[in-house]
Amino acid sequence: MAERFTSGARVQTSRIDPPHHTRLPRYARGAVGVVIECEGVYPRADDRARGIDSTPEPVYAVQFAARDLFGEGDHTVTIALWQSYLTAVHKETR
Amino acid sequence: MSRVNDVGGMEGFPPLVHEVDEPPFHADWEAHVFAMNRALIGRGIYNLDEFRDAVERMPAQQYLAASYYERWFHAISTLLVEKGVLAAAEMSDG
Amino acid sequence: MSGDHEHTPGSLAARVRHVEGLLEQRELVDARELEVALEAFLARSSPANGARVVAQAWVDESFRARLLAHANSAIEELGLSMGGGLQQQRLKVVANTESLHNVVVCTLCSCYPIALLGPSPTWYKSEAYRSRVVRDPRAVLSEFGFDLDTDVDVNVWDSSAESRYMVLPRRPSGTGDLDVDALTSLVTRNGLIGVAPL
Repeated sequence: MAERFTSGARVQTSRIDPPHHTRLPRYARGAVGVVIECEGVYPRADDRARGIDSTPEPVYAVQFAARDLFGEGDHTVTIALWQSYLTAVHKETR
Repeated sequence: MSRVNDVGGMEGFPPLVHEVDEPPFHADWEAHVFAMNRALIGRGIYNLDEFRDAVERMPAQQYLAASYYERWFHAISTLLVEKGVLAAAEMSDG
Repeated sequence: MSGDHEHTPGSLAARVRHVEGLLEQRELVDARELEVALEAFLARSSPANGARVVAQAWVDESFRARLLAHANSAIEELGLSMGGGLQQQRLKVVANTESLHNVVVCTLCSCYPIALLGPSPTWYKSEAYRSRVVRDPRAVLSEFGFDLDTDVDVNVWDSSAESRYMVLPRRPSGTGDLDVDALTSLVTRNGLIGVAPL
């Protein structure tokens, strides 16, 4: 599967609370972060947990500002996220 | 699915407990659970993601009250029955 | 047997033995094999491994560069590996600098590079650590007696996929004349997780 995001890309995580095992932590749902790097291509945990065969996907290290996750904090949190958890965020153009 | 294991950012847990020179296992049965899990995954009875899913499916109150390897044993037991390896009736001793 | 005693350690041990016995009958596990595999695993996995990697990075700039770029292959130069576990894990080494401090957690369960750090401590696996370190890392570090300067940024790595993170602490000053073995002995498991400076 092709890598959709490059380092530095702004991405937003899914807001969905899926009815199954997933590796998108609740605290990071719907948050906007920056792709640090692609960590490789792996079968989705969500699918392997249910015995579903699926095409392995790129996983990205995505960095979030604590403020954007919790409303407070001066630190960052970097989370490893499967591509299907993410959508591109486009800067508004004038 | 928002499950009880997904605790990032959650409030209300007790202070950290530091045990000096902690052994890897606090009782023999813990080591046996650890080894059993590796053996069963190695044999393809279930995979690591199915295992994590089974840990997460533990009822919330039971999960929080259980020790780490107790959760593992609960998950292993769940999977052994779900996968048809052992019958539910044989799981209790005596 | 009464359900009241379900969670006492004695009865847990009995339940584990019972299931192990059933699995042995089915020839799905072999008790001797389990013991041997467990011993070997524990012997191979130790924070001394991670410490050795750090010391090498401190004395060898080009090794450090390779470690930060492709950690899995770099550690093999030292005879170490991330294999021997349940699935091949990608190692990512994250370097502390004068302006950045890294801390590692797995909020969802307790993932951790066991091969290089040895079995994880109970606190790492606890809800207390997993819930708090992403939200207030400085407070958690203070609980470990580590008060980080306010001008040092903090990045917390949440091991939510297949990468396992290890911190490369900063080499302390005044260690210029120490050899690799001496440097190795300075690095602790807590430093490799990021809750200590070393």
